[in-house]
Amino acid sequence: MPKALTLLLDFDDQYRRDVQQSHAFLHRRDRRFAQQQEEHKQPITVPAWLAVLHALNGQRRESGADPRLRHWRQARWVFAGLGTLLGVGFMLGLLWYDGSRQINLTLLIGLVALQLLLALFTSLQAWLGWQPWGSLLGPRQGDDPLAALRPALCARIAHTGGLLFAVSGLLTLLVLVVVQDLAFGWSTTLQTSADGYHQMVAALAQPWQSLWPAAVPSAELVSASQFYRLADTPADNPALLGTWWPFVLMLWLVYVLLPRLLLLMLAALQLRWQAGQALRAHPGWQGLFYRFETPWVETRGQEDSQPAPAAAQTVLSPLPDSATLIHWAGAAMEAPALLPRLSRDPAPLQRRAGGNNSLDEDAQVLEQTGARNQPVILITRGWEPPTGELSDFIVDARDHWPAATLLALVPLADEQGAALTDAGLLAQWQRFVDRQGDSQLLLCAPREQEPS
Amino acid sequence: MNETAQQQPRFAVVGHPNKGKSSVVATLAQNDSIAIAMEPGTTRDSHRYPMKVDDVTLYELIDTPGFQRPRKVLAWLQGHSLSASDRPDTVAAFVTQHADDPRYHDECELLRPIVEGAGIIYVVDGSVPYNREHEAEMNILRWTGRPSLALINQIGSDDHSADWEAALGQYFQIVRRFDAVHAPFEKHLDLLRSFGQLAPDWREPLDAALEYLQALKFGRDSQALEHIADALIDMLGHQESARLGEHEAAKPLLPKLRQRWQNWQREREQRLRRGVEDLYQHRRLQRQESDLLTPDDGDLFSERTRQLWGISKTQLAAAGFGAGAVGGAGLDAVVLGASLGTGALVGGLLGAAGSYYYGDKLTRLKLGPLSGGFREAVYGPLKDPQFAYVVLGRALVHSYEVSQRNHAGRDVLAVNDAGEHWLEHMDRKDRQRLHKTLQSLANRKFEPGKRQRLIEQLEQAQQAFGRWQMEQFEAIDN
Repeated sequence: MPKALTLLLDFDDQYRRDVQQSHAFLHRRDRRFAQQQEEHKQPITVPAWLAVLHALNGQRRESGADPRLRHWRQARWVFAGLGTLLGVGFMLGLLWYDGSRQINLTLLIGLVALQLLLALFTSLQAWLGWQPWGSLLGPRQGDDPLAALRPALCARIAHTGGLLFAVSGLLTLLVLVVVQDLAFGWSTTLQTSADGYHQMVAALAQPWQSLWPAAVPSAELVSASQFYRLADTPADNPALLGTWWPFVLMLWLVYVLLPRLLLLMLAALQLRWQAGQALRAHPGWQGLFYRFETPWVETRGQEDSQPAPAAAQTVLSPLPDSATLIHWAGAAMEAPALLPRLSRDPAPLQRRAGGNNSLDEDAQVLEQTGARNQPVILITRGWEPPTGELSDFIVDARDHWPAATLLALVPLADEQGAALTDAGLLAQWQRFVDRQGDSQLLLCAPREQEPS
Repeated sequence: MNETAQQQPRFAVVGHPNKGKSSVVATLAQNDSIAIAMEPGTTRDSHRYPMKVDDVTLYELIDTPGFQRPRKVLAWLQGHSLSASDRPDTVAAFVTQHADDPRYHDECELLRPIVEGAGIIYVVDGSVPYNREHEAEMNILRWTGRPSLALINQIGSDDHSADWEAALGQYFQIVRRFDAVHAPFEKHLDLLRSFGQLAPDWREPLDAALEYLQALKFGRDSQALEHIADALIDMLGHQESARLGEHEAAKPLLPKLRQRWQNWQREREQRLRRGVEDLYQHRRLQRQESDLLTPDDGDLFSERTRQLWGISKTQLAAAGFGAGAVGGAGLDAVVLGASLGTGALVGGLLGAAGSYYYGDKLTRLKLGPLSGGFREAVYGPLKDPQFAYVVLGRALVHSYEVSQRNHAGRDVLAVNDAGEHWLEHMDRKDRQRLHKTLQSLANRKFEPGKRQRLIEQLEQAQQAFGRWQMEQFEAIDN
């Protein structure tokens, strides 16, 4: 089988393997191949690409034909064998001569014309891609890379059989010429004169007229060879009737064998051309050359695999009674409706820390709030992650405040003072309290609004 | 500072925790894994996202942790600086001195690339009012003396961008607004172009990078069409078959084969979607149609899907008329026009009748010839032209959504209902050609050599789809 077919099948196999791969991987791999080929001043071709991939994958091509081509090969052998047998049988049948009557050249010419027509029809079918009998080959699988090549493959097989038919027929003719005395004649129901018949055979013999003049029947031979079935007129010169054999030989050679040989070569070329076409029309072809020609653009960088955050341990505690409030970065400072939900004292101490306060101002806040000797409520924006500054503030508070001062951390959902309910946001505050390792640090929510 | 660092522009994306730094990087680096896995504000280490072309880095984005203790850092810097001229060195000294101090781990991580030569992209949230608590951070960044750009990222619905712009203008060379989740691709390029304006040496590599990114987008759009074409070829021509005994009835086999056929179609459609998402490097996309087996609203074979993406009988008949008329015109050509156009008329009527006929037709099993006591029962392809438009419509909307989607987007991909059909935006002749191709696919008469023509027809369909989508957006905006 031609390399073009094997290449098409190899390419299709690789395409099917690649379908499962990510586009990024394929682009990197194929662009790398293209760059290497350019570096070594080698052409960027599909066979070279496949060879590199096979080498990288440690794949070795199995000897012999691709298994998918095996049944086509077997069919070719079967047709070749059948053609040989039929050629012998056909010629034996055609030249069967019992001496009672000449072998009819008109029939012989007609059968040669039929052979030629069959050969041309086979090629025409393949060129048009028309296969009315295609269902005999089994269902046509949509993903079969050889599907489009079926007519050409069939034509090649048919022409192989036809060629072997012609060769075995020719050899049989030669053997019969040697071992038998064949007497040829011509006969037809039509009112044809010997001159007319001569003109026809001379026209048929035109191709070899100069090569082998002896194989061109003369007018005398034509005239002497006419016979009628009902007329019992043995030939005057039986040896003369045998001299038709060069004409018959050349007729078979030129109108049966050579056309078959020529059409077989054309079928092989057509197959190669169509395999090339099928390769270029293959769904993977355009993508492959795009990857060869297009620089690999990588923007993703390293893949992050952040470990899942640890499960939060801290749970929400009841809000302790307190009249000392610290608004971290001014959180909910302007939400008076929140105050009764945080402190039962009608005028709690409200201080601001963090944010755009200076560090000295934060220290003063710690001083003032610690001096009150009561739990402290630290209000934060729950939608913003807790920062290192907040952590430092709590650590500093422990240095300045009396031991065992309860500190209630209250992250809010908005500036109006809604309790934080989003589990994801709450979890970051739970983990923050876990990290602080401070047993006097509580995570709380504002009290529910009391009915007025 | 090493030589490589001087050659390639690098940009440290910095800011307060949870202001969308990672979202900006995710969108610009086209990497949807960046922000998704992290708890907000928990980026602890810097991550580098180089933009490479054939392994040559053109620029690099560096995602950094947020400021944790900006006031203390600024206090340290102020306490160690003698004059304005030593400020960059003082910042570098801070990083050197606190390299192993866990309290300043985040600040060292974010300042290190800057003292090594990176430009500054400072990200703020434009949906919250400006307040002075960010001034410590902005001052620290100004102390580094590096080229800087401020980016107002719109996270929430409120817009305080004007206040931010006024304030940021005092600290940064360039101030830009950028919605990391919704900004179209052209805006990404505009933003990168403005990165190139920060330093004269950065313009050239950034311009080159923009060209490559544009080409990459164009290439991806084309390849998405190839994926759709291949899926259409596979799906519209697909058959399921089973062997049937000589005396076995075919009817009981129908539901089983239909189920197999439908499952195959669903899986093939999912494969197409994964392929397109992989092409645009969306690897963590959540889709609304998640259940492959339940014929729910998003299912390929649900009635709602058919209503949403199928075409009306009038449209179908109109398209069928055209497709038939193409064949009829061929008939006229054969008889050398002697039919005076009657061929086209007859062909058109046949095409329209065929469309109506198949429009409500349920597929049946086809039985093959008896061979060895068995015959083959074949289900499919579905010759209902509605199916082709359903597959095509779903493929186009998915491809469109994925191609327009930013990598910072985290919302579920959804398909919206529509009044007018997108096919209306396609030229009548193109529509007829497309219809003819879809019919040839469903009839399994499509030649592989015509794949390129199908891709070109899909390109026209995609453009029509894009125009239709724009009209939908405009209608919603109004």
